Amino acid sequence: MANAETTPRPVEATGPVRDLGAAAIDLFIGGRELYSVFVRTLYYVVRGRRDRGAVVRQMFEIGNRSLFFVSITMGFIGMILCYQAGLQAKRVVPDYTMLGATYLELLVRDLAASLGALMLATRVGAGIAAEIGSMVVTEQVDALRMCAADPIDFLVKPRFLASMVMTTVLIVWGAVIAFAAGAATANVAFDVPVKTFCNMSLIDAGDLTIGLSKCVAYGAAIPIVSGYCGLSTFGGSEGVGWATTRAVVNSSLAIIILNAIISTGGLLVFGAK
Amino acid sequence: MSDAQAAPRPSRLENVAAATGAAFIGIAETVGGMGVLFGRIVSRLFAFPPRVDWPELKRNLYKMAVKSLPIVVVTALFTGAIMVIQAAPLVKRYGAEGLLGWGAGFGTLREVAPLLTALMISGRVGANNTAELGTMVVTEQIDALRTLAIDPIAFLVAPRFIGIIVTLFCMTLYADGLALLGAAYSGYGLIQVEPQSFYNGLTSGLLNFGDVANGLVKSLVFGLVIALASCHFGLATKGGAPGVGRSVNATVVASAAGVFVLDYLVSFILG
Repeated sequence: MANAETTPRPVEATGPVRDLGAAAIDLFIGGRELYSVFVRTLYYVVRGRRDRGAVVRQMFEIGNRSLFFVSITMGFIGMILCYQAGLQAKRVVPDYTMLGATYLELLVRDLAASLGALMLATRVGAGIAAEIGSMVVTEQVDALRMCAADPIDFLVKPRFLASMVMTTVLIVWGAVIAFAAGAATANVAFDVPVKTFCNMSLIDAGDLTIGLSKCVAYGAAIPIVSGYCGLSTFGGSEGVGWATTRAVVNSSLAIIILNAIISTGGLLVFGAK
Repeated sequence: MSDAQAAPRPSRLENVAAATGAAFIGIAETVGGMGVLFGRIVSRLFAFPPRVDWPELKRNLYKMAVKSLPIVVVTALFTGAIMVIQAAPLVKRYGAEGLLGWGAGFGTLREVAPLLTALMISGRVGANNTAELGTMVVTEQIDALRTLAIDPIAFLVAPRFIGIIVTLFCMTLYADGLALLGAAYSGYGLIQVEPQSFYNGLTSGLLNFGDVANGLVKSLVFGLVIALASCHFGLATKGGAPGVGRSVNATVVASAAGVFVLDYLVSFILG
């Protein structure tokens, strides 16, 4: 052991510069791998094997299993948002005739898609990462690779297709629930008749386009990000926990960033009326 | 086996009733477990002197709060920008540039900043905490503590409980400020509202301390829910390594649902 003491140790750079550099390199490597998972998923969607059973199973897992959770949370979100909007309107113009129309426009253009997708990111993203992560830890993914089967084709692609469809469906359903809950709240708290509240005059093609493109983008982002986090699991059972955490945080971040990008794009394309 | 064949098969209705009942019993078990845990933590905190492990508390505060800063910064800046983008058509429609600050500020301070910060912290800190406690339970480290006559609640759970609540409160304060900064500058970039008139809209008297306090009270309540859910599911982990994954999933889902339900109740009570 005398040898080890005499060998000069390499000079380690310390301090904020090193930390910043390490963080930047990590971010760059993570981004590149995420991009590679995305591209390979798209490739297998076109050229991969057709496995309808897996996609349907995932649709059940992602869609039907989340229905209750999405209904509850979106119902409460609808009540909160409508109540806050009413309070806000009360301070400036005590006129509730346009409350429903404005609320519906915001719901269609942004809130239903973004808040619904944040809920799905926790429920679906955590599930995907935990499932794929435990497969990695128990070496089932290595077994797939040994059989010359790409885990992205077998594991990520079905979830990707299922999530794109089911996220859109669940968000449309969530928007209906949130609007109904909002109408009930407005009726009880501010005496707005339901007929006045159900006013679709402010919805136009631009709002629908932005809302639906958000649904598709979030539906694609959640399984890709969580699948990537699941596949990069390491370190046994504890690693699965970390992978799940990272999947939830990164999917939520992806949703918020995509929201800002798509909203800005929508504002520039359709203008601010 | 003749017994099983003789018994009439349960009808569809009975199956549905059984599933519904099981779901309700599950929810009652979770809420009850969280209540008991809360009682135990409170009994440690209000003992004299408080039975909380200070070094562990400091370690957890560093791990939970300081390490979460980057995601809170990113979330808050983008949230502010999104609030302005959503308010932009309304502002243009009524030509009310001066109201942009008030409109974005009202939504951000009262609702969006506490809510989104809570969701991010629940994903990052709450889930992490469950994974940690769950791994300790599965590898019997908690039993080892009990064998050494160390109280796991005072040593492990109470510091994490306080840590999560303090973290969420501080992060919400921080996110409030950053979201307004993001809103002011994206308002300038996208619809040419000067940051100065944004600031005037914020401070012209339509917003008061009550709105900020409303959001902060919410963040305390959210912190309580996230802390209880994450500690409860972590300690209730069963069934080895896959059980840890299931607990983490349950924590995230329960925290999100709890945050939304309580958000509604707090909004309604505070008015």
